[in-house]
Amino acid sequence: MRFTVERRLQQPRWLVVAVPLASVLFGFVVAAVVLLATGHDPVTSYRQLFDAAFVSTGSLDQTLIAATPLAFTGLAAAVAFRMRIFNIGAEGQLYMGSITGAAAGLYLGGRGSASPWVIAAMIVAGCAGGAAWASIAGALRAFFGTSEILTSLMLNYVAGYILTYLIFQSESYWRQTKGFNATVFPTGKPLPSNAVWPAWTLHTQGGIALPLGAGLAAVAAVLLWVLYRRTRFGFEVQVLGDSVGAARYAGVRTRRKILSVMAISGAIAGLGGASQVGDFSHSLDGDPNGLQRQGYGYAGIVVAALARYNPFAVVLVAFLIGGLDNAGNSLQGADFPSGRVGVIQGIILFSTLGGELLVRHRVRIARTPQAPAPEPAS
Amino acid sequence: MTQRKLALAAVLLVISAASVVLALGTSPGAAKSSSVFKAAWIYVGPHNDGGWSQAHEAGRQYVQKMLGSKVQTTYKENIAVGAQFSQTVASLVAQGYKLIFATSYGYITPAIAAKYPDVDFEQATGTYQAKNVSEYFGAAEDTVFLSGMAAGAAAKCNTIGFVVAYPIPEVIRHANAFALGAQVTHPGVAVKLVWTNSWFDPAKEKKAAQSLHAAGACVLGQNVDSPATGQYAQSVHVPWVGYDSDSSKFAPKSWLTGSVYNWGPYYLKRVKAAMNGTWKSGFYYGSINDGFTKLAPYGPGVSAATKATIASKEKAIENGSFYEFAGPLYDQSGKLRVPKGKKMTVNQLYAMSWLVKGVIGSPKG
Amino acid sequence: MNNTLLVTLIASGVAYGTPLLFASLGELLAERSGVLNLGVEGMMLVGAVMGFWTEQRVHAGPVVSLIVAVFVAAFSAACMAAIHAFLVITLRASQIVSGLALTIFAGAAGLSSYLGNDLNLADVPASHTFHAVFPSGMQNWPIVGPLVFGQTPLVYASWVCVAAIAYYLTRTRPGLNVRAVGESPAAADAMGISVTRYRYAHTIAGGAFAGVAGATFTLAITPQWVSGITGGAGWIAIALVIFAFWRPELCLVGAYFFGALQALAPELQARNISLGPTELWTNAMPYAATIVVLVLVSWRGARRRLGAPAALGVAYVREEA
Repeated sequence: MRFTVERRLQQPRWLVVAVPLASVLFGFVVAAVVLLATGHDPVTSYRQLFDAAFVSTGSLDQTLIAATPLAFTGLAAAVAFRMRIFNIGAEGQLYMGSITGAAAGLYLGGRGSASPWVIAAMIVAGCAGGAAWASIAGALRAFFGTSEILTSLMLNYVAGYILTYLIFQSESYWRQTKGFNATVFPTGKPLPSNAVWPAWTLHTQGGIALPLGAGLAAVAAVLLWVLYRRTRFGFEVQVLGDSVGAARYAGVRTRRKILSVMAISGAIAGLGGASQVGDFSHSLDGDPNGLQRQGYGYAGIVVAALARYNPFAVVLVAFLIGGLDNAGNSLQGADFPSGRVGVIQGIILFSTLGGELLVRHRVRIARTPQAPAPEPAS
Repeated sequence: MTQRKLALAAVLLVISAASVVLALGTSPGAAKSSSVFKAAWIYVGPHNDGGWSQAHEAGRQYVQKMLGSKVQTTYKENIAVGAQFSQTVASLVAQGYKLIFATSYGYITPAIAAKYPDVDFEQATGTYQAKNVSEYFGAAEDTVFLSGMAAGAAAKCNTIGFVVAYPIPEVIRHANAFALGAQVTHPGVAVKLVWTNSWFDPAKEKKAAQSLHAAGACVLGQNVDSPATGQYAQSVHVPWVGYDSDSSKFAPKSWLTGSVYNWGPYYLKRVKAAMNGTWKSGFYYGSINDGFTKLAPYGPGVSAATKATIASKEKAIENGSFYEFAGPLYDQSGKLRVPKGKKMTVNQLYAMSWLVKGVIGSPKG
Repeated sequence: MNNTLLVTLIASGVAYGTPLLFASLGELLAERSGVLNLGVEGMMLVGAVMGFWTEQRVHAGPVVSLIVAVFVAAFSAACMAAIHAFLVITLRASQIVSGLALTIFAGAAGLSSYLGNDLNLADVPASHTFHAVFPSGMQNWPIVGPLVFGQTPLVYASWVCVAAIAYYLTRTRPGLNVRAVGESPAAADAMGISVTRYRYAHTIAGGAFAGVAGATFTLAITPQWVSGITGGAGWIAIALVIFAFWRPELCLVGAYFFGALQALAPELQARNISLGPTELWTNAMPYAATIVVLVLVSWRGARRRLGAPAALGVAYVREEA
């Protein structure tokens, strides 16, 4: 008796929904064992987790703050991974977007209430910064065939060091140099008031405000969906993702497609960086203990994978993972070391990743081993 | 067929489980109960880092021990500045915490202070004050000066190495105090700096220590948080002056002494004030006199004569007859920065951006 | 002589390059078999914490306890690699995503930190550490003293590993098979080589090396435990594998070069030499240099000659056409 795994020709819709849910549940059950083994009541812990993520006063607001960058980086990863362009550089592209977005805001901003022009300029600058940074890896892939997995990863670190350099090791345009507070510790120059992005209050009592960035992420998701489902470009990109040979046969210009997909992916991540500045930090955050500790870019890849690279699902998953992240802070404490939160998150991630197999493949129990049919992998 | 049924069962299970979790989750007042006063500490690193955060953690435990069941305290560790901090504060407030100690610079922003007017915040090492935000720190420069005296006395050559974190006023004034102290017991000694650009990074600190030793330093000191400098010092048999907490156990043979913080009494005072409603925003700058900073116990390499010299200086600092940042003070280029008869104020110390004469290195990192 | 900039730099390069070398040898084995594992940092941290724990708890004299500690470190990190192997080989999950998930699970905010906390390892000095074994007279010999005789046994062990892996990959049948699996799994399969078995074995062995790399930190370089002690070395190791064209002997050179770069910033400061924004360029250099090398190796023809596994990152599925 042995197991065989074969690819499903068609993926039933209900499976696409049921399997991730079941995997998450499985992850929670395994994590519950960890909790029990360390002397914690899983029901109480999970209730606390859920409470801190979505229920208690102000929690939704914080979950939105955590989810917004994840939605951007998740979309950035999803758009590229769909075409089998493995851009794992959303992290660095986000930093670059925050640098260029902040520059636009600082340069064009002034006094008064939020100005649509200044904010639009920040959005454009953020997208451009992220796209430019991503294009380095994109161009290397398009012209030299260099693996974008590795170049985009390496560029994350370069971007991080540049970000820190601008605030901590130089007196750059982004650094606050005036005033007593600025001399005490290096900080970014605060944005002028009309460059601060607005937020819409959804629920006055709960203090829930929808940041502009969250709205932009939703818009980006819709645009991506339209791009992939309704345009020739999207069609060609998908053909290319399935098979380079077939695409070339159909006359698709591979090089240009690779460049544009990387640029789009980088632009979305860069927009996330601009949103970090405009929506939340209101200055360039170069602190090694700040933005760079969050790892939004890497988490975004996990978000995209869990969402199976579907733009709408990315937004939803980003919200859930944002909630989990947010709640993780409430769970840890004097009687609950922070590392255990990471372990629980890791278990849930592993089980959802593993569950993917069941969506794409059918597992059969065969009495007699099937005759091996060696065929080349596509 | 059976497969499909199994899957269907799985879906039903998920839905029912989700609804149970939802029902449990939405039950009101899960964590808010009891009249116990709740205070929380937020650390930028692990609570047991053997340095900065651990010293604060000792302070928290002191509060818990002194007030027993009257307070409930907790900590949040490895919290990044920015989004993660605001999430942590939100969850603490939702759980009924009324006093939050943020133990690193850059945590508390005006937006956070304004968002939770009923919660009192305290931030270490910073400068931002508001109606519900206090700042606290202490004159570690006094004790760093005394530890510099121990380093100077132990130096058999003319160079002392000093491993430093970020080129910011807090670290610059400590480096200056250290050098001034060393010059008292060893006139003409040079203090050489290597910046690590990190508060806590054992590997980088060890490299810095190694570079300083290779460049001729025969005593090592530090204004960073890990004991890596000391471990290296012991391996090459040179004396070492620590910082933050008594980490003599990591290099007992090299350990001379170190300036350490005692946060507990201040925390206790503030928690008590918050409990009986007398908490007010302010700026606390602790000193040797109120026990906030002190010298850690000496190691075997400090002679009795040095101990006596240091003790007399410590007395002089305590009774105000001596102050290390009193004029005349010259900077690296020999320019007079503080004229005779003048003393630097706390505000000037908080903005100090120049290194005193005898320090080798750049104040810009 | 021994205190000149060049000698101290190379000596530090050897000392600080050793964990990079161990980790990159492990990643090299995994990548040669076609499995990209981005979880190196997490595996290193688990190895670091378990190695330190063993050294604290085994009371059997310095030599025995250190050797046991290194093996425990290797074993525990290999267990982490096994999770990745199971997910990407058996369950065919994305190698990138699974590796990142492994970093989250095991890394500085996960299992390693949790273990360090629950096993009470923080803020205790190591009872035994690896240190130089040659008499101090020899350590002071010009040039070879600091470079060769002033190093810890782990450094010598890493040299043996380099030679062994180089021999294994070029001179032995299983070694040649691994390269076949990484180049063209389908062809290897047709030759009767079990792709799955080879990939499992090399991914797990790769984890073991990462564990030793982690233990190098907690038992030799900075003998203490604190969460996140490896400080991103795992990511540099991933870059290093490419920088070294997937060849063990070049990993050695690359590791010492990257190690020396990390020591360059403090070294220049201590000697009052200013070379522009040192902190920025010495930190960014390993990554930037790796990108340059990547571009070089991807030129047509060069790729094959230099040894980049063609099937790197691609799950092998026999049943699928």
